Amino acid sequence: MFDRRLFKNFDYQLLLIMIVLCLYGLLVISSSTQGLDAADPYAYVRKQALWMAMGMAALLVVISIDYVNYYRWAWYFYAGNLFFLTIVLFIGREGVGAQRWIDLGVFDFQPSELAKVIMVIVLARLLVDYEDRINNLVYTLPSFIYVIVPMLLIFLQPDLGTAMVFIVILFGMLYMAGTPVKNLLAYAGAGLAAFPFFWSYLLPYQRMRLIVFLNPELDPLRQGYQLMQSIIAIGSGGLQGKGLYEGTQARLQFLPEQHTDFIFSVLGEELGFIGGIVLLALYFLLIYRVLKIASFSKDAFGALLCTGVATLISFQVLVNIGMTLSIMPVTGLPLPFMSYGGNSLLVNMISIGLVLNVGMRRHKIQF
Amino acid sequence: MDKKMLKRTRFFISIVMIIFIILSSRLAYLQIIQYDYYWVRAEKNRLRIMPITAPRGEIFDSSGRQLVTNRPGFTVSLVDLGKGYSAETISRLSGLLDMEEREIREKIQLQFYRRYLPIRLKTDIDMETVAQISEHRLELPGVLIEVQPIRNYVLDDFAPHIVGYLGEGTVHGWVAEHWEENDYHYQPGDLVGQAGLEMVWEPFLRGNDGGLQVEVNSTGQAIREFERVDPEPGYDLHLTIDAELQLKVQEALQEAVQKQLEEENNLYAGEAAAVMLDPHSGRILAMASIPSFNPNTFRQDFPELARDARRPLVNKAIEEHYPGGSAYKMVTSIAALEEGVVSRNERVHCPGTITRYGATKSCFRGHAHGRISIFEAIQKSCNIFFFEMGLRLGIDNLAYYSRQFGFGNQVGLNDVFGEKKGIVASREYKRSVYNEPWYPAETMDTAIGQSYQSNTMLQMANYTAMIANGGKHYRPYLVERVVDGHGQTVMMAEPELVYYMDVSESNWETVRTGMSAVTLPGGTAARLADLPVSIAGKTGTAQVVGMDRDIPPHSLFVAYAPVEAPEVALAVIVKHGGTGGATAVPVAREILMHYFGLEEEVVPEEHDLQGEEVIE
Repeated sequence: MFDRRLFKNFDYQLLLIMIVLCLYGLLVISSSTQGLDAADPYAYVRKQALWMAMGMAALLVVISIDYVNYYRWAWYFYAGNLFFLTIVLFIGREGVGAQRWIDLGVFDFQPSELAKVIMVIVLARLLVDYEDRINNLVYTLPSFIYVIVPMLLIFLQPDLGTAMVFIVILFGMLYMAGTPVKNLLAYAGAGLAAFPFFWSYLLPYQRMRLIVFLNPELDPLRQGYQLMQSIIAIGSGGLQGKGLYEGTQARLQFLPEQHTDFIFSVLGEELGFIGGIVLLALYFLLIYRVLKIASFSKDAFGALLCTGVATLISFQVLVNIGMTLSIMPVTGLPLPFMSYGGNSLLVNMISIGLVLNVGMRRHKIQF
Repeated sequence: MDKKMLKRTRFFISIVMIIFIILSSRLAYLQIIQYDYYWVRAEKNRLRIMPITAPRGEIFDSSGRQLVTNRPGFTVSLVDLGKGYSAETISRLSGLLDMEEREIREKIQLQFYRRYLPIRLKTDIDMETVAQISEHRLELPGVLIEVQPIRNYVLDDFAPHIVGYLGEGTVHGWVAEHWEENDYHYQPGDLVGQAGLEMVWEPFLRGNDGGLQVEVNSTGQAIREFERVDPEPGYDLHLTIDAELQLKVQEALQEAVQKQLEEENNLYAGEAAAVMLDPHSGRILAMASIPSFNPNTFRQDFPELARDARRPLVNKAIEEHYPGGSAYKMVTSIAALEEGVVSRNERVHCPGTITRYGATKSCFRGHAHGRISIFEAIQKSCNIFFFEMGLRLGIDNLAYYSRQFGFGNQVGLNDVFGEKKGIVASREYKRSVYNEPWYPAETMDTAIGQSYQSNTMLQMANYTAMIANGGKHYRPYLVERVVDGHGQTVMMAEPELVYYMDVSESNWETVRTGMSAVTLPGGTAARLADLPVSIAGKTGTAQVVGMDRDIPPHSLFVAYAPVEAPEVALAVIVKHGGTGGATAVPVAREILMHYFGLEEEVVPEEHDLQGEEVIE
């Protein structure tokens, strides 16, 4: 069984913060899905709770295997990831917007969500292997190829938001791996310079998506409208909010994806500024603990895993909440632990599992 | 962790902190500073989206005549004013619109996710209902009357099997994919093409809906406009069909059917079809199927149409296949000439009746043609001659040439769905369907277009065109040109050669000569002899096997004209219409007279029906 030290080093605080976030999510989901299923008002909450239980089980599995093994298996994960991302283009079912799912009968599997955490593991290994050349502008370039392949597959779904996450994870992890800042700036500059070339390969509708992504006001009847409704919902919540289940904006379903992408709007309306600040504080504590564990980790692989997870969560929080507050463009990125949707929850819990794993095994175990 | 990484972790956490400070400040700005403003906005949240339906593309015939267009009509919609819909409003609407309350509630439920959009309850309501609703506007909060384009099929039952119709329903397959790519999402209540061109060309015909962001007052009337996106009209289709000709074809078929029903007391009659195409391109000039229906009143008529045993919704020119009878004999002729089992000079003795392989078979009424060449065999439709050819060729050769002529597979019409493959009589077919070996007696039947051989009228027209043009199988098409809202041509059809059948020119000429004699005195279509245009044709009287013995045969005729420089190829069937010469030929006569502008010149005269052919 486990070494006692594993328990001693276990970060209960991080686990607790994560559970509180999940429960907070369930609460807001219960409000935002009232009436969606006439037969059972708690159908969505029940489903999400079930996913949470599965997430806990997955988390336990993840932490019970020494994370050194993930370093070894990284390429198998990567291959499996590419496989799923490819087949989903052919056998996938299309959901709202453009995300693609594989119907597994019992539940829908969304490979692009799983790809996020797999990318963190793969990049952690790759950058550890690159330790000697991390300062070299050219020799670090191959890491981009490893990211671009799954990114393009996701872009084809087409899911621009998730594809963006990959680039951000890469930059975050390159930075933490010690890449000189001037190199990072050079990569970013090259990326921008290559944009017109990339642009010419896009289909008209893909271009339109990108344009609307950058300027949602061009689509006033859908995204523009949605954003305005989101701001009205949040602003009208005030300091204390209208009370759970009392939001008028939410009741009217002005926000078509209010239990998924726009869950923060419901929270802002019903629980007010206080509810919003509590949520932001919880996220900050979570990210803080994750980076704390990174700094304690016994090796670079562990530290990079943690920083990858921290990047993943912070970027999604920024983009999602920023979107509902209308300071970020509209993308289909979920709010970690809060948005309704099993795949996202499961993957976020797995990534916290990775971090806990690194934390537990921060000292070499002596027999 | 080394020093550098630790430093970078600190930097990272400070970035995260800055992000959170920005988010919190924005939150504070909206919820504390701007609270009053947004609270009022939420209370009076009457901002709604009013979609503006894009006018659907129109459809024109080859001369630019309008066939399908749009007219304005009134639609009753419901707008959510923030309190849902009262039971009273629903019950009143149910009475006014003659809809069940349950039906209204279902429509409301369907739009649960898009409550900010009006729910379209009923389209194309009459003026009286409009007046009643307007009168009671104050008692019907949230009820709106919108003006929406309504599809108008100008000529009512004009080629409905080609044009198709609209209906509410989901979209599948490539149509859905095309929409997805163009960022159009189907919404409940949207009218989409359900058949014909309306269905296949849906992605082009449908424009992009626009919309208005408006503020509505307490009764649901728009009082202020914020944002507007103009709709983009759909693309117009210009067809290869000539409306005048198509109407003539429909009329001639209808008359023939009517005559069978009324004058001949033929209870089996009532269905007919014809296809006319340009043998040098595959352009379909006319394609008709009887009985017909009116797409304007399709929804009301549907229960009756669905019950009708004659299946008016089915396009009998492509969706059903029939034995070709003697009209199929040119397949046997070309096969025999090409395989060298007969020469153009050889004469075969026809005693009127023969017994081979235990079966006794004969020419029409046992008429003996004596020593007869291939030319006369085609002209007089001698069965005995073709039995002999069939036996000389064998079934495998017959099946091979049948497939060369495009039988047993779709001719390739893509502009409407539903083209059937038909059946090529062959060993493989019999083995797979009946699990029995092939009998030589069946080869004889196949040689005269009977046994298992079954063809669509489009296949028959295409095969006739191939005889006329020397073996070129063109893909048939209905849409000549697609024009966008600004009058720019966005697509232009081009003839597509699907297959070239290599047959020596002298063998084509032999068959053409035989077919030309069919319409001369002494031929089976001598009724056409008085026309100033030379016509090559072939009659067919196809026995329907396995049923009542007294059931009348299908009456068929295929033709191309003028013989010297073919402009049209035609195939006509009148189901259970009797002999080819008696029923299908007069239909073809009317069609060809119209096409060549001879209606006023020629006085139709009665011919006696000698030389009619029938099997057995």
